[in-house]
This record gives sequence, structure tokens and C-alpha cells, in this order.
Amino acid sequence: MKYLVAGFLALLCGFFLADLVFRQKMPELQPMAQIPFDHSLHGDSIGLDCSHCHGGSHFQSRAHMPSKKDCLDCHRLPLTEKPGIEKLDSLLALSGEFPWNHKNILPEHVVFHHGLHYAAGVQCSDCHRPLDGADYRGGLARGKPYSMQMCVDCHARKTFGEKDFKPAAVYCGACHR
Amino acid sequence: MDRREFIKACSVVLLMQAFAGCRRVTLDTSSSMPSLEDFVNEVKMAASRSKPGFDLVQIPMPSALKQSGASPLNRFGMAIDLDACNGCGKCILACMQENNIPLSSKERRAAGQFMHWIEMRGGTPSMCFHCGDAPCEKVCPTGAATHTPDGLSTMMYKRCTGSRFCGANCPVGARKFNYDDAVKEGLSRRFNSEVPLRSKGVMEKCSLCLQRLQDHKYSHMAQFPGNEWRGTGVETACAGACPKHAIIFGNWLDPASPLVKAAKRKNIYAPAEVAALDPSVVYLRGNR
Repeated sequence: MKYLVAGFLALLCGFFLADLVFRQKMPELQPMAQIPFDHSLHGDSIGLDCSHCHGGSHFQSRAHMPSKKDCLDCHRLPLTEKPGIEKLDSLLALSGEFPWNHKNILPEHVVFHHGLHYAAGVQCSDCHRPLDGADYRGGLARGKPYSMQMCVDCHARKTFGEKDFKPAAVYCGACHR
Repeated sequence: MDRREFIKACSVVLLMQAFAGCRRVTLDTSSSMPSLEDFVNEVKMAASRSKPGFDLVQIPMPSALKQSGASPLNRFGMAIDLDACNGCGKCILACMQENNIPLSSKERRAAGQFMHWIEMRGGTPSMCFHCGDAPCEKVCPTGAATHTPDGLSTMMYKRCTGSRFCGANCPVGARKFNYDDAVKEGLSRRFNSEVPLRSKGVMEKCSLCLQRLQDHKYSHMAQFPGNEWRGTGVETACAGACPKHAIIFGNWLDPASPLVKAAKRKNIYAPAEVAALDPSVVYLRGNR
């Protein structure tokens, strides 16, 4: 019985030791992940265009996430009296060069050029508008996950009739590779 | 062995297992990535086994596609100058790197089967001829093989179910079928992040570097809305890699294109098999 207990204890110690030695580091959470970013405070309400923070959204293929420098364009200065602002400033100071984690959901066999759509008169909010009251994040277009059908419907002028977009290409090789 | 030793041994075994289970890296290293040298060697091997050449027949310069919906401005194509080409095979390697073409397994290599989109035929490179009247596209049951308005015969990999009808109907055998799962078997290497890797059971072939044309076109259209795009300045990976400038990419419908300029000086040939199918890729030989 004594040995059984000793063996059990040794096993327990072994687990702790193994944990100590081989412990996997938690992925480092960006400090800014603690901040509930609100698009409604940063967009039209203060006269900012999407492309100010999401560089490339008007002329390049991809609309990028803002870098720390983009945030600091405004947040160098104490902007408001809100109680959260000090926490934000301190976390922003701590964060790395690219404070936002973003996973691109566009499949690799699909081509989507943001600038091309902007040049054709499509507004960011036409595809990225959230449901009423919700914020933009979540990879949803108007509350639904993105799908090829959405692209095709607009390209074939079945949707956005009021916007009077030009008909766009619907052959496979236009958007797929 | 007495009871005490038995329990000791069990504890030791369990401890070892606990350690082993907490390792960060697995011991499995089977799926390693092939090196660039592997690709170079495979290209050398393929180039040394040049297939017999084509019977070439003279054709007129390709003009606008006859299909409905074809672009009146653009028809992309390529010309291979047989007087300049020395069959070095650099185009094959450049193509593999641009389009993430996988290596072939030992058995397939031994049988002379490669995934290369460019093959040596009679000492000169040959690839898909992008026929305007493509026989491969007519037999695709899923619509994966289609033609773009600007003259490219394209493959939509996600639509392909692997019937291989297109391969059977191609008169020059330009299409390659993924019999193996190259990614799983460690035969694939992602040189170019812009081109997706193909999965098992999918047909592939020369795309005339579709991704380069798409990227250039959409950047142009975003920067200069309303301006015509003629593909000026785009070239395929093989054309860019050719040390003799024997491969010329361009737009058949643009008189300023290097392709048209080169083709005007020389006689234009196509393999007899595809000469009647309005090919976009041609051979040049002999000054006019």
C-alpha cells in the first residue's frame, strides 16, 4: 500500500515536472484585444473614411488592418474624458506594431480586388454593412456569411438595382484562379 | 519480480509516458518539404527525355476569337521562337515555381509522367495551346474547363471532379492529372502564395499565368477607371525566365504588343493537331 501511494505521488510529481519543462506558451494576446473597438465612434461620426484606417481599401487589392501608427495618428492626444481612455492609451503603448489580429476569410482560389469595386462605385458598406446596431466585425455581410451567390447576384444585377452599377463579369476566370 | 519492483516499474513507465505526451514537437517528420534542388533535378530529368516533336504547319496570325462574348480588345497568347530556343529547360522550372507545380513520385517519374505544364517536345518547349475552339472545354461535364473572353483556356479547380474527359480530348496531351495527393506526400512546395495548390483528382494545365493577368488587370482598372486595359507589361513566368527571349507573351489584338511585333517578322507555325483549332500559342520560325 505504501508503495502504491509513493508511486502515485511520483506520477503526480512527474506530471507537474513535465508541465514545468514542456509547458506550451499561451499565444500572446495582443493587449488591444481587451479593448472593445467600436466602429461607430471612429467612422462618419468623426469624419473618417474607412480607408483612413483600412489602408488599401480604395485602391489596392486588400483592405488592411490598421497598424499601431494609424491608431496613434489620433490617439497620441488625450481625446475624450471617458473613463476607458486611460486604459486604452496604456494598452496601445504596450501593443506591438500591428495591434489587431485578423484572419483573412477569402479563399485562396478567389480573387477580390477592393480597389476595383471602389472604382466601380461600390461603397464599403454595401458589402460590410452589419445588421442594425451591430458592429462591423465577424466576417458577415449584412448579417449573413459571405458567399459566392452574393457576388454573382450583384454582378448579374439581381441585387442593388437602386444603385445602378454597371453589369460586371460573370465568367469563372474573372474571379477564380 | 516482487510487488515492490513491479509498482516501481509501472510508475517509471507512466512517468516516461507523461513526459513523452507533453512534448511540443511530434516525432513524425515524414511530410518534409522538397528543396529547390529537387525541382531542378526533376526538370533536368524531364528535359533529358524530350518527347518526339510536332509536325508543324504554317498558320495565319491569330485574330479575335470567334466565340460570342469574346473581347474585341484582348486575346492573350504566346509565341515560341524556334530559331532562338536552345531547349535549356529554364522555362519549365520557372513555371513550376510560379504555379506551385508538384514533383512526381518515383514510380511516375520512371514511367515518364511529370506534372510539368511545359514539356520538351523535339527539344523545344510545348504547353497548352489555348485553342480558341478548344476541344477540351467541350467535353467537360462540370464546366470546370472554360474560356475567358480574352482568350485563356482556364481551369476552375474547385469545379473539377476528375472525369479526365478533357485530357482524353486534348490532341496534344497538354493536360496533367493529379493522381496523387502531392501535399500529403510531401511533393508540393508553395513557392508562390498567390496560386492555390491543387488537390488529388483535379486536372491542371498551363493557365498562361492567369494570376498575373488578373492582378495586373484589376490594379489597372482600380487606378485608371474607364481606361482600356490591354495587358501591356504583363509576361508569363516562362517568358520572363527564358535567357534567349525565345518565349514572347502578349496580346494578339494589340499592334504595339511585343508578340505581334515579333510574329510579323517571322513565319507562324502550329502543330498539325491543333492548327485548325485556332491556337493562341504558336511557334515562330524563319524570317518572313
